[in-house]
Amino acid sequence: MLGFADPQRRLRRRGVVFVAWIAGWLRLLRFGGATIVAALSPSVYNPATRAVVARQIYFTAWQVIPGFVLFVAVLSAVLVRIVDATAREYGLSQFATELTMRVLLLEVIPLTAALFVSLRSGAAINTEVALMSLRNEIEALARAGVDPMRFEFVPRLVGCVVSVVSLTVLSCAIALVIAYLGVYGFFLWGVPEFTRSVGNVFDAQITIGLGLKCLFFGLAVGIIPMAEGLGGSREVHTAPVTVLRGMMRLFFVLVLIEVTSLAFKYT
Amino acid sequence: MRWVSDDAERRAVLAEHPGAALVSNELPLRANLTALENVALVPQYRRDLDWTSAAGEAMALLERLGCAACAGKRDAELTHAERFQIKLLRAVAAAPALVIIERPGYLLPDIHYPPFVDAGLAALQGCFGECIIVDYAWNAPLYPAR
Repeated sequence: MLGFADPQRRLRRRGVVFVAWIAGWLRLLRFGGATIVAALSPSVYNPATRAVVARQIYFTAWQVIPGFVLFVAVLSAVLVRIVDATAREYGLSQFATELTMRVLLLEVIPLTAALFVSLRSGAAINTEVALMSLRNEIEALARAGVDPMRFEFVPRLVGCVVSVVSLTVLSCAIALVIAYLGVYGFFLWGVPEFTRSVGNVFDAQITIGLGLKCLFFGLAVGIIPMAEGLGGSREVHTAPVTVLRGMMRLFFVLVLIEVTSLAFKYT
Repeated sequence: MRWVSDDAERRAVLAEHPGAALVSNELPLRANLTALENVALVPQYRRDLDWTSAAGEAMALLERLGCAACAGKRDAELTHAERFQIKLLRAVAAAPALVIIERPGYLLPDIHYPPFVDAGLAALQGCFGECIIVDYAWNAPLYPAR
């Protein structure tokens, strides 16, 4: 009897897991939609919310600038050297600048900025929201007349979006300088050609695509950790699982956005 | 006073007043904010006050209850009595018509709590309309005759 019962039970368990997985995504989409709508509503931003948003931007974007800029400078220098040397080796030195920019500015830096903010702020947000949910702090705030959406969620979302976008823009500017220095050295004769290459790479379609990609990265980094933190079980021992699931889901979505962007760009 | 005999009855009493300001062990303070910030949040969000005005109001309430010394402490650093006072202030900060203090013995496990609660409510007279204390019937002998 057990032999017959087991496959059924296994199938049922798989079904339950699958339904929970789908429900998790639906919950995430619903929470994401509500948070984005709230973030776009001017009435949400009273003096207190504006102050919390400013603090979030400071913690998520401003505080990390020195470390991230240094990291991007080193990464850019290494990648520029690799791409430039490889292009010269294959006799494609005329494409070195454009190739460098396409790899570095359009793909590596936005994804690196998103991963950096995810690891630094996303993990912290996921843990904090999970703990708030466990301790019933969100309900306590709501019961005291403090809207958690205005006080906790919107500022974090805005902080993450501003952080990803501003770190990407800043890093791209630094990478451009390093790319020029890597290809042409400390001379000005390459400026016209370099400027032309930048213009070739950043046409309207690519620029809009890059902007949208950064925006989606920022939204994912802000929304997924909060939604997962809220959706976790109310038992303390499950908190690590909640954070782990949130970070895995975030990684999956970031990769999905990157792959979708590549598919749009190169098909 | 509302005496209850079990948890179900306690929940039923709370369900009768969904709009009341509640002081409860199940509604903790925000852990990463100081006591002053926890109280100031209420006027900041209910009346859209800026931080300076809200903090001024909150500080005045803390002074009125005699717990201004714990203004800079976070939840984990507060004693049970201080935590109760801050929760009470958070509840009355919006000048509610009804405040419910539920299971004060659970909030104040290491003091003779009825006089302490009464003293707090007397100090905040005029900040709220009415107050109901919900406690288990077996704690009735702890309270002075009313």
